[in-house]
Amino acid sequence: MNPIISHIIPVEAIVDFIYGPLIWLSFVIFAAGLIVQTWRYKMMTKINDNPPLIPKKEIPKSETGSRWERFFYKLAFFRLSVMGFNPLLVTISLVFHLCLLITPLFLLAHNIMLENVFGFSLPSFLPGTSHLLTGIVLACGFFFMLRRIIIRRVRAITTFYDYLILGLALAPFLTGFLAHQNAFDCYDTLILLHILSCEILLIMIPFSKFFHMIFFFFGRFLIINEYSLGAPKRSWQF
Amino acid sequence: MSDNKNNNGKIDTRTIQSILKENKKQIKLGLTMCAHCSLCAESCFLYMSRDLDPEYMPSYKFLHSIGKLYKKKGKVSAGQLEKMRDLVFCNCVLCTRCYCPFGIDIPSLITLGRRVCRSQGLFREYDKA
Repeated sequence: MNPIISHIIPVEAIVDFIYGPLIWLSFVIFAAGLIVQTWRYKMMTKINDNPPLIPKKEIPKSETGSRWERFFYKLAFFRLSVMGFNPLLVTISLVFHLCLLITPLFLLAHNIMLENVFGFSLPSFLPGTSHLLTGIVLACGFFFMLRRIIIRRVRAITTFYDYLILGLALAPFLTGFLAHQNAFDCYDTLILLHILSCEILLIMIPFSKFFHMIFFFFGRFLIINEYSLGAPKRSWQF
Repeated sequence: MSDNKNNNGKIDTRTIQSILKENKKQIKLGLTMCAHCSLCAESCFLYMSRDLDPEYMPSYKFLHSIGKLYKKKGKVSAGQLEKMRDLVFCNCVLCTRCYCPFGIDIPSLITLGRRVCRSQGLFREYDKA
């Protein structure tokens, strides 16, 4: 680096900060943010003693009839669900979110660091499996991006922020994979970008659209509505 | 859709802002949690029967009415509000059948959009339609 620039900008200090305190800071903000935001949203809900009337499902459940009749009833209901209308999107979304969660958790390199720092670690995937899962995450992300560009109805509600969010979610996977492959012969830069992108992601999760990782369970398991799962008892009290 | 002339083209921004302030939490929640996934589209019978026009998609209707009003802090022109009126009154019948994978209450947000429009004398005049 140009010595004049390095004199003005304390590059080494910034790099040290990214490699050191910012990692811990991002984990603390992530954990505390999740707790505080979950509590905040929970405080916006209240147990509802007079639950709203939920319309019954359109497809009647056949209690009688043969096994085949019952099967076709279920099939017809499935066809009318979101999975029936968008099987490709729902499948890719499920695979994407699953891989997004498990890949970093069970990555060998992450678990070695965990072992070194805390003395315990999670089981790890073989490197080949991790590569495959990373590839799946990136391919799914590319699918989501293309979808935003090509499909008219998605384009109509897409903003720059959606691309930013998608880019931020994929950045740790892309940089991590490239660093592992020592792409462009610049491992140091790539691993720095990998760590920085993870830190930004962790800090952003509780305070941005990424919070849907928790909110999803609020909307489906805590709040009484037609599409809720389980036996929720609460309603929003804004 | 014939234009309402009740508001004489003047927008009372303060009234709009007070409605937005009163319902800030609900609007903010809807805007933050909408992932712009468009999975709500097929649940709207109007979307399905209007040649899959995105302007009938539930998320489009709330994002471009109450969502836009919130982002612009209520400062919209008469023309913009008339477009929102068409979205919330003509493109939606509030049948409450829309589906959101995150459980966002889209009908209540569209209802808020209607409330803002009504406060400015903009609504659907069925006898003139």
